[in-house]
Amino acid sequence: MKYLKIEDNKAFFRKDKTQPENWNEIDKIEKEDLMKLLDFATEDDFEMDVYDEDVLANKAHQIIYKSIYEKLNIFLTNKDRFKDQTENVYKEALEKYQ
Amino acid sequence: MKKIDLHIHTVQSISDRNFIFHLESLKEYVNKLEIDCIAITNHNLFDKTQFEQICQALNIKIFPGIEIDLEGGHLLLISENENLDDFAQKCQKVQKLIPTKDDSISYEQLTEVFLNLKDYLLIPHYDKKPNIKPETLKKLGNNIFAGEVTSLRKFKTCIKEADKLTPVIFSDCRFVENMTSYPTKQTFIDVEENTLNAIKGCLYDKAKVFLSKDDGNDFFQATDDGIILSTGLNVIVGGRSSGKTYTLDKICQNFDNVKYLRQFSLLQNDKENFKKLVTTRHSLITENYLKEFKDVVLDVNDIDLKSNEVSLEKYLSSLKKYATESDSLDTFSKCKLYNETKFTLDSLNNIKKLISSTETLIEANEYKTIVNKHISDEILKSLIVDLIEKHNELYQTNLKKEWTNSLIETIKENLRFRSTTTSIEEVDFLQIQLEKIKVQKFRNLVKKVQTEKIIDSKEIRGFKVLAKTKKYTGASQLKNKSKSKLSFSEAFNNYDNPYEFLISLQNIGIEETEYYKYFVAIDYRTLNKHGYEVSGGERSEFNLLHEISDALKHDLLLIDEPESSFDNIFLKNEVNELIKQISTEIPVIVVTHNSTIGASINPNHLVFTQKLVDSGNVEYKVFFGHPTSKTLKSVDGKIIKNLEVLLNCLEAGAEAYNQRNTVSYEILKD
Repeated sequence: MKYLKIEDNKAFFRKDKTQPENWNEIDKIEKEDLMKLLDFATEDDFEMDVYDEDVLANKAHQIIYKSIYEKLNIFLTNKDRFKDQTENVYKEALEKYQ
Repeated sequence: MKKIDLHIHTVQSISDRNFIFHLESLKEYVNKLEIDCIAITNHNLFDKTQFEQICQALNIKIFPGIEIDLEGGHLLLISENENLDDFAQKCQKVQKLIPTKDDSISYEQLTEVFLNLKDYLLIPHYDKKPNIKPETLKKLGNNIFAGEVTSLRKFKTCIKEADKLTPVIFSDCRFVENMTSYPTKQTFIDVEENTLNAIKGCLYDKAKVFLSKDDGNDFFQATDDGIILSTGLNVIVGGRSSGKTYTLDKICQNFDNVKYLRQFSLLQNDKENFKKLVTTRHSLITENYLKEFKDVVLDVNDIDLKSNEVSLEKYLSSLKKYATESDSLDTFSKCKLYNETKFTLDSLNNIKKLISSTETLIEANEYKTIVNKHISDEILKSLIVDLIEKHNELYQTNLKKEWTNSLIETIKENLRFRSTTTSIEEVDFLQIQLEKIKVQKFRNLVKKVQTEKIIDSKEIRGFKVLAKTKKYTGASQLKNKSKSKLSFSEAFNNYDNPYEFLISLQNIGIEETEYYKYFVAIDYRTLNKHGYEVSGGERSEFNLLHEISDALKHDLLLIDEPESSFDNIFLKNEVNELIKQISTEIPVIVVTHNSTIGASINPNHLVFTQKLVDSGNVEYKVFFGHPTSKTLKSVDGKIIKNLEVLLNCLEAGAEAYNQRNTVSYEILKD
């Protein structure tokens, strides 16, 4: 599912996956939204439009989108390793106190 | 038969606690204990002048010796009493080689100093700390045939087991002024002459080494005033104030690692105290059970979700501010590197694990055929080469990334220093998300830990101890747990929210290594054979059985009047049998007035203490002997009738005994 998109020279993010049509402008993003995006990136098949200055004319949107896109991209690139790591978190203890 | 003590200290060395040697005490010890020969063995030194003074003062054979720190253990090296100058010179070399208490010499240095070890008697600390290491014993080879042990139990084990060295027990004593009692740890050897060679000859043969003069290894001297006891079960009887407890105290003083159950010490009238006692005894179970949980709590304790939130907030607000300033960027903030993000380093943990697992597969000999059935060595080797190449590649990339990151950091700092534009704050999404997941898992884990369940169950002679986990129900329980006056009421409000509870524990003032204990209570319940919670009397019974069972971790068990807390049926059915069992392993000494214990237990040895008052003078006498012999004997050869002793001490005298049997009980019979 797509969570970040560029459309009409503006960048948007999705707040809630249950409301697929509800897109919000990227300059309105808050820390709670960012945390949710991180959860989506961890749990779901996370898609986003590639950052491209040519299709995103809004200067402010450019800067915000680029930064968040790059950071999420690093997160997604390391997702396999991250999943391995989180699956093993406290595994021994959770099994012991079953 | 000679009585020897070849381990005596007379000079305070760097390895000793403070003491000032007193020759008169050594003299009194040798006379009182009737010792035939001793060796002076100070730590890593030999004082020739003092040795000669001791030889002059005592009329027994004295050997010069030295206790050497050898490869981390202790070794007694004893010489014949001749050519003292040569021995003193050699010992001086040892002294120089061991300048501090943590130093020791090697086997090679030992042979370099003493040349031919066969000229000496070498006795290592064998079952005694710090013992000579097995590899050093191997190097010493045939020069070692006897080893020093600390307890009667260890001595008897070495005698029984063929592959053990000949055991010897010595006092290892420092003789100072005003000693209240003298050690009774000596060894008897079946030898005619007092020469080093004759003693060495004897120590080659386990059959010539004993704990007692006339009774082999079944008896030992318990006190310096000559009380001989059995290495099995001993019963001490005697009137009130005749010196029974005094004798027990003296024996306790004389030996190490003694389990001493004092009179009335086992009474358990208070339920709460009993619970605490049982909980303390089982603290290891609690600790083992919560070990993994403790590690998790410590890990989560380092997580600060609030600060993660703040760093996200800072990142976003700086990002938005920077975006609004995008039209007015200066020369510095226009640079690409002004807000450049750092490279994330690749973790090499997983690839390292893979390499090590492949290595295990290649090196395994035990299941080689199974491994090779599925995968050949050739493939494994090619796999490990590929993995190592990948590892090296990642490692190299990481080095490059590190170098670049550090360069970016320096440039960014310089640009930001000169620019007036806002800079975007750093944030690590991976770390923030990982810590969030950790806290989620922690909440789940605490729920599991707090679920009521039995985690341990132990049967102890009909009693059952159950350990059960349960949630705390109030702040006062947490306070009790902390054994302090700290207030837990605020923290307890968060008890059902594990992470928040942990954060509030941080503000209370308890050690962070203790936090895990406040999440779950472990309750110990002691049940009787019918499955009900134990009563007051049963608590004491359980306590006695537990303490006696625990005695096997010790070298000697002393029990003072167990009947003062228990009824006869319990003593006969439970305690007697248990005491008998234990006495097959370690010497047991029971003081009693009770015929159930005194007579029915069938001890190996009987001791009778007596207080005599003769025209104002008080004299304490001790008689001992086999329980079935007609008479008991004192150290100075006086004799007393055994039957009289038993009837007086256990049955309130012959008249009362006869009356009970012929009048009281007979009348009641059908």
